[in-house]
Amino acid sequence: MLKYFISTSLFCLSFLTFAQNDSISQDSVKYKNKYGLRVGADLGKLARTLLEDEYTGFEINADYRLTKNIYIAGEIGNEEKTTSTEFLNSTAKGSYFKAGIDYNLYENWLDMDNMIYAGFRVGASTFTQTINSYTIYDTNAEGIWGQNTVTEPREFSSLSAIWGELIIGIKAETLNNLYVGINMQLKGRVTEKEPDNFENLYIPGFDRTYDSGSFGIAFGYSLSYRIPLYKKAK
Amino acid sequence: MNYKSIISLCLISLLLFTCEKDDICAEGSAITPQLIVTFFDETNPTQRKNVEDLLVFGLDDNNQTVPFQSSTITTTDSIAFPLRTDVNITKIVFWNETFTNDNGTPDDNEDDFTDTVNQDIIDFSYMRSDVYVSRACGFIANYLDLNATLVPDSDNWILNTEIVKENVENEIEAHVKIFH
Repeated sequence: MLKYFISTSLFCLSFLTFAQNDSISQDSVKYKNKYGLRVGADLGKLARTLLEDEYTGFEINADYRLTKNIYIAGEIGNEEKTTSTEFLNSTAKGSYFKAGIDYNLYENWLDMDNMIYAGFRVGASTFTQTINSYTIYDTNAEGIWGQNTVTEPREFSSLSAIWGELIIGIKAETLNNLYVGINMQLKGRVTEKEPDNFENLYIPGFDRTYDSGSFGIAFGYSLSYRIPLYKKAK
Repeated sequence: MNYKSIISLCLISLLLFTCEKDDICAEGSAITPQLIVTFFDETNPTQRKNVEDLLVFGLDDNNQTVPFQSSTITTTDSIAFPLRTDVNITKIVFWNETFTNDNGTPDDNEDDFTDTVNQDIIDFSYMRSDVYVSRACGFIANYLDLNATLVPDSDNWILNTEIVKENVENEIEAHVKIFH
């Protein structure tokens, strides 16, 4: 939970710093906007792959600027995540893609090209889940018969899920055409194929599921490069 | 949408997802059921009948007694105990008319031992079927095709057994009747 807290705080802080530029009036000089395809990767997933034993994943993201404020955006990725609790250890593994629209809410100053955006995605994933081991939950037999841990792996393949996402985030141009971004995704599953006598604990691209319902949350940290194709006046 | 609303949106969503109660197996979740045994009168099979000074233990692989939470001397017409999940058979030893022998020293409890008069053993056999509960609790066991086999000896106080529920899936009703 701490990681969510830190990332969300950073996320909120970044809005505050951007918001300060808000009231400055436009210059009379005509500035031009760069249009092109922006391609990048998720740094958060790369870092977790290096740091966390139970996670391997990468994501490639791209967006294409349609108008001054509207971008077609999408992500494609692959994840493998092991979920372990006191009684259960399982691994989800699979690929996903997401597609949608980002809308820039931020009025740039001069020829700056930063984004505070909101958008939506439709996401889909196909994956397998493997129960690596489980300990039969039997409170009455505790200290009497001893615990029985079943270690025979059981794999459930061709699972799938489709979900919708609301996304909010920022992208800042740090070097010419090089952008760093951070975003938060609120998700809701529309359909999913679940295994018999088990459930989808982690869905690649969706992140972990919750017992309380079909909602989820995830954070993205992107580094991307815009391939400039043409310029157009603001 | 202004920035204030974005900030409040991320704060609200943060609040929504801070409680990870999902990761703790809560009390009140489904549990692995115990076997419930009720005692009936052999001469009047519809009538429940108390067993005087009953004491029940499990038997492990080396035929050593394993005490249950219910392993105290009681006069009762029903008892519950956990079955083994590592093998498909649980051996249970039932003593009736047990009493505490004070070893000739009524004032000294330390050398007291439990005297047993008549020991009967029942082998409960079954197929285990594990049922998924939740992320935090994992799986519980259910027991299917329950069978009870009384081990015959020269002086059985248990006369007969009857399976009421072949599948042990909950603790709502008794699963086995024992006639004595």
